[in-house]
Amino acid sequence: MDDIYKEIILDHYQNPNHRGKLEGGIEAGEVNMTCGDSLKIFAKIEKDKIIDAKFEGGGCAISMAAVDMLLDVVIGKKLSEVKKMSGEEIEKMMGIELTSSRKKCAYLGLEVLKKIDVK
Amino acid sequence: MINNKNKSNLHYLDNAATTPKPKAVLDKMMEYYEQYPANIHRGLYPMSERATEEYEKVRGKVSKFIGAKSLSEIIFTSGTTDSINLVARSLNIKKDDEIAVEIEAHHSNFVPWQQLGNIKFEVNKNTRILAITHVSNVFGQIYDIKSSIKKAREINPEIIVVVDGAQAVAHVKVDVTDLDCDFYAFSGHKMYGPTGVGVLYAKAERQKVMQPVKFGGGMIKTVSTTESTWADGPEKFEAGTPPIGEVIGLGAAVDFINDFGMENIVRHEKELTDYLIDEIEKIEWLKILGQGKGENRIGVVSMYSDNKMIGTSHDMADILGQEFGVCVRAGHHCAMPLHTKYGIETGTVRASVGVFNTKEDIGELIKGLKTVWTTFIKK
Repeated sequence: MDDIYKEIILDHYQNPNHRGKLEGGIEAGEVNMTCGDSLKIFAKIEKDKIIDAKFEGGGCAISMAAVDMLLDVVIGKKLSEVKKMSGEEIEKMMGIELTSSRKKCAYLGLEVLKKIDVK
Repeated sequence: MINNKNKSNLHYLDNAATTPKPKAVLDKMMEYYEQYPANIHRGLYPMSERATEEYEKVRGKVSKFIGAKSLSEIIFTSGTTDSINLVARSLNIKKDDEIAVEIEAHHSNFVPWQQLGNIKFEVNKNTRILAITHVSNVFGQIYDIKSSIKKAREINPEIIVVVDGAQAVAHVKVDVTDLDCDFYAFSGHKMYGPTGVGVLYAKAERQKVMQPVKFGGGMIKTVSTTESTWADGPEKFEAGTPPIGEVIGLGAAVDFINDFGMENIVRHEKELTDYLIDEIEKIEWLKILGQGKGENRIGVVSMYSDNKMIGTSHDMADILGQEFGVCVRAGHHCAMPLHTKYGIETGTVRASVGVFNTKEDIGELIKGLKTVWTTFIKK
């Protein structure tokens, strides 16, 4: 098996950089029914720029590592640009190839980010 | 699956989801599709008569297999879910009708009732329907439903008892007359038969009050421009062309179980289950959800870890499958209220044994589980 549980993935899963709540941020969430992952992302947006973001939730190593890595990448970027990101970019960012059932796990974070709505 | 050339690399431990199909079942279905692929109850030519005979013969086989009093108590459906939905929709259930369900239930014996009536978790004198599970698809526990049914009838003699037997039929002897249930639902594909076919046992006097929920060909007696009347017996609930080849395959699956012998199945599976539980109990970081070794269980074993550094059930199953060819289920196993009750939101890994399994399969599972630990902890 091409090892998807690489050290960098496990590190983001076991010692995440962005776990927690963000007061006054915009909230979005999603659940992944097949495995019971649930994810909430809090984001502070100023003029389309993601100033800060955090996440809460539980799920498999792949989904939780993916969202932590994703937040590393997107903080400081424009939300409108982030919303254009594709699933392949997530896999590239993680440096692993995923089977179809695990893609769902890895894409969860991006799906939630895409739901963030600045009114 | 059992014909798979890579059998040695495949350790199928997901029998609770679906069982492998023996060659005898596939051959019997192929025989229908190749030699007499006609519709039933229609043609007067020999091929159709043979199809009808073979199809109806299965009703008799199934009725004997589960101890029904008459073959007309056997209704063919597409599976357990379809069977339970048929009962639920055929009894004219009102919004305030009380229906007793279980937190341990599979979603198929929970959600249909939640949609229609007023669900409760206990039986009282107003309970109209009791929906219970014969064998848990998460714990593997065999429930003493005979006593539960007796008690429920003492509280309300009119109560209608619906049993989900999906996990029971291939692993324990079932006798619906002895259990004294009104309905008993199960699937073909969890008992070595094909997908797409299931059974609803409906006690004769209850069947009389059931209203058909699917209308069309095959279920009528007469049709005029103004009204129609319904066929007597189980055909009333089998509108349209049924899955003929699959029903015939189900008959071969019943033969397969009978030839193997239920006592032999129970003995074989108990030996594997005891071995499986002994080995899992040696793994410190892993816990079994539900009871350990014992008589009142089948070889369905769900496990989980409290250690937050280890991945969830999904990660474990992925490693087992990709690296060891061990096929297990991960998640909620269609029992979310149960997992929520036990606080295991991210699910469990479930291994389930069947007649084709060997100790080697269990050994590979254990080896794989040890690798899960080294993957997450000692890397």
